[in-house]
Amino acid sequence: MTATTVGTALEMSDVRKVYTMGDGSEVVALDHATLTLGHDEMVALVGPSGSGKTTLCSIAGGILSATQGRIVVGGEDISDHDAKELTKFRQNKVGFVFQSVNLVPFLTARENLLVVDELGRRIGAPARERADQLLEELGLADRAKNLPSQLSGGQRQRVAIGRALMNDPALVLFDEPTSALDTKLGEQVMELIQNEMKSRDIAAVVVTHDERITHYCDRSVHIVDGRLEA
Amino acid sequence: MRLALKELRRRPGRFTVATIILTLIAILLMFLGGLLDGLIASSTGAIRAQAADAIVYSDTAQASFVRSRIEPDVRAEVEGVGGVTEVGGIGNVQLGARVPGNGPRDLASVALFGYELAPDGVPEPPPYGQAWADETIKASGVEEGMTIEVGPARTPIEIVGFVSDTNFNGQSSLWASPDTWRDALAANRPDAQLGPGVFQALVVRGDDSDLTTAIDEATGGATDSYTIDGAVAAIPGVTEQQNTFNQIIGVTVAIALVVIGLFFALLTVERTSLYGVLKAIGAKSSTIFGGLVVQAVVVTGIAAAIAGALVVVLDLVIPPGSIPLLVTPGRIIVSVVLLLAAAVLGCTFSLRRVLRIDPASAIGTTS
Amino acid sequence: MFLAFKEMARAKVRFALLIASIALLVFLILFQQSLQNGLITGFIGAIREQNAPVLVYSVDGQRVLQGSVITPRMEAQVRAAPGVGDVGPIGQGTFTGQPSGGSDGDTFDTTLIGYELGPDGGGIGAPTNLVEGRLPTADDEAVVSDADVRLGFGIGETVTLLPGGKQIAVVGVAEDAQLNVAPTLFVSYETYLDAIRSVNPDAGTPLPNVLGVVPAAGSTPDEVVASINEQSLELDALTRDDAAAKTPGVAQVQQSFNIIFLLYGLVVPCVTGLFFLIVTFQKANSLTLLRAIGAPAGRLVSSLLIQVVFIIGVGLLVGALLYFPVSQQTLGGIPLRFETAAVVFWSVLLLSLGVLSSLFAARRVLRIDPIEATTGQGVGA
Repeated sequence: MTATTVGTALEMSDVRKVYTMGDGSEVVALDHATLTLGHDEMVALVGPSGSGKTTLCSIAGGILSATQGRIVVGGEDISDHDAKELTKFRQNKVGFVFQSVNLVPFLTARENLLVVDELGRRIGAPARERADQLLEELGLADRAKNLPSQLSGGQRQRVAIGRALMNDPALVLFDEPTSALDTKLGEQVMELIQNEMKSRDIAAVVVTHDERITHYCDRSVHIVDGRLEA
Repeated sequence: MRLALKELRRRPGRFTVATIILTLIAILLMFLGGLLDGLIASSTGAIRAQAADAIVYSDTAQASFVRSRIEPDVRAEVEGVGGVTEVGGIGNVQLGARVPGNGPRDLASVALFGYELAPDGVPEPPPYGQAWADETIKASGVEEGMTIEVGPARTPIEIVGFVSDTNFNGQSSLWASPDTWRDALAANRPDAQLGPGVFQALVVRGDDSDLTTAIDEATGGATDSYTIDGAVAAIPGVTEQQNTFNQIIGVTVAIALVVIGLFFALLTVERTSLYGVLKAIGAKSSTIFGGLVVQAVVVTGIAAAIAGALVVVLDLVIPPGSIPLLVTPGRIIVSVVLLLAAAVLGCTFSLRRVLRIDPASAIGTTS
Repeated sequence: MFLAFKEMARAKVRFALLIASIALLVFLILFQQSLQNGLITGFIGAIREQNAPVLVYSVDGQRVLQGSVITPRMEAQVRAAPGVGDVGPIGQGTFTGQPSGGSDGDTFDTTLIGYELGPDGGGIGAPTNLVEGRLPTADDEAVVSDADVRLGFGIGETVTLLPGGKQIAVVGVAEDAQLNVAPTLFVSYETYLDAIRSVNPDAGTPLPNVLGVVPAAGSTPDEVVASINEQSLELDALTRDDAAAKTPGVAQVQQSFNIIFLLYGLVVPCVTGLFFLIVTFQKANSLTLLRAIGAPAGRLVSSLLIQVVFIIGVGLLVGALLYFPVSQQTLGGIPLRFETAAVVFWSVLLLSLGVLSSLFAARRVLRIDPIEATTGQGVGA
């Protein structure tokens, strides 16, 4: 288990994302965002809809390119990466847990974890061992052969977390992890996330609008209209 | 790629109807091809079988046996051409044959050939009154050793053995000595009878690379010579049939391409969000598109296999003589290859959409 | 209506591909329909368009004009059969013909059909559907088929038979009167005999190939056919329609094409049905939403049906438009024709089949429960 070499998992400096509309006008989705995460820090990114939290998360995860600014994730500067380099970066350095359409519906839980290896590095047996180990640690060993449709919402979320951890990332991005769950289940999931992240020394950004779960994180950062508030 | 195959195995239902459609199209391709092959084979077998370098007709015959006549003096001129090693006469007459055991109005169609130089697969000319028969005549109940009566004059011909793929004009061929043929012609078609030594055409073997031109020059334009391939193409209807059928087959392949393109374009739309997730966790567009192509190829391959099996069954079930269908491995393979090519090309309709799927679409939106 | 077209406009590629596949299928079906009809007409048109209600072949001829030979004894038997009125000999031969109106001395396989002219050229065996000129009234005159005119066999032209050089003048044109998909000349019986002798000096006295028979007053063609066939096992009498339909090869052509039409015809509703089923699944959420906000189920189904009818209609139109220029061509000697009846038939058939096939999708639409809008299940998944 390796953590990031230098101290920070994420360094965003003065990042701007500007969209140009069809009529020539500009929309600033993210404005001078600066954010630093330690190698095992969990940060809650809180804001209303349209605040730019999704944009920030996307840029940090290498899914979206910034218009301006510097982004370093796990020691890798992705500010000027092209699409191909970003794809490779996502294979190796980042994990995602999306809000919906997380899992491939026709793959078992185990296969969903292995899909990362399939699409990327293809290291075979070591990947299978890691998948089995993660399933065990996440309490899903007996569900390994089930399809997503045969799993409960909470179990599916855990499979998604397992997948995010497969490539031993420097940073995991959680997009509204509890929005589809009731309070009790939501708390269970957040406890799980906290345990997994802390025990592996992995940094996490949890995007949410739900103030009830922010206490699971080390700190909260608020974002409104594309601007971060300290 | 394995992802794509897993989806096929785990969710075959969504591919079923497309496979059925492609099977129908594949059957069409193989059937059309088999029809073309059957028509051509049964029209041209006798000519294709000739083990020779040229066939010589008279100049106004338009490559038709019936209208051609080669007199002995013209034959002598042909034999004298440099490079010519062997010359044989050939002629035919098309008659109805009465087969023992069949009804009085139930005749078999035969083309009786008189020949000197043996074609491929046919032995030397048998004694007078006997003939080798193309095996397709067995469908009319003819057996080895049987004597059939040809034409209104009921000329008896004893069948001494069978040969294959020597048919002419859609009729079963009989191969007999020139005398047998000449007498049958005179007895049954007095208006077309030919004098002794006169044949309808000549079969020529030689060394010259441009034998046909040399022969026609030597006879002063009294003959019209063809290579075997040229003679086959000159048979009326052959070239037109090939062109027409190939055009129809071509358009059918285009239809397969469009149908596959359509089906997979629809599937891609349905899987947009899934592809977005895969791209987000690091899948390349080429991997995703490659998976699509694999699915198209597998589905098409299965359809082609089913179609191939059905066409073979169809061939066995169709009574001989009702439809001129010839099912050959070559044609089936060509059809499969064409379909697979259409499958790969059809996927290109989805390429742009796959390329344009934004991994960022995986984050954020609910509905 | 509004929904139906808005959706199609939003997803042009998909709907365009569907229309393209239907248009191609329609084109192929119509083209092959023309091919089939042209082939059969070119093959036996002359038999259908001559005036003898009954034709008598020799059994040995196997219903091919050229293969049949009528001996004097057989002719006597025919004349003696009850119900037989007038009898006339008909001869047929294939020659190499050079029309003066052709280009560069082109030669063609040319069929001659000889019959006894009678007082005005309308004897037994004469062509019935004259569209230009007149019937032959003397030797060495001929009526051709309309398809032959463009090859140089027009009225006023002369046809030279090779070898031998016998010349025949074209005086009239009949519709759809070809035999064996070759230029066909209807001439006097004497001209026909002369033609044979000119190319083959070894020929004896050619016998007629078939006899044309007119039933006596009070007898039908079917009765005459039965009566003649009873006279001898060597005689093969047929009504004109039967003679045309039972010529070897005709049934084969029809059966082959029937299989082809069946297969192509099945593909259209399958493709349409599959397409609309998938599309319905894909827009499940929007459909559920519409139902939730009050759209009647029937409205959604009719929207679907409008799309189906529109798609197939446009496909038919484009297919027919592709077919039109091709149908004006001559393909390998077969003159094609725009078969309006076929267009109407296939339009009705494919529209009906297409609508039927979309019922699977319609069923899905009707099964949508609006409550799903709130739980987020939709129809898909």
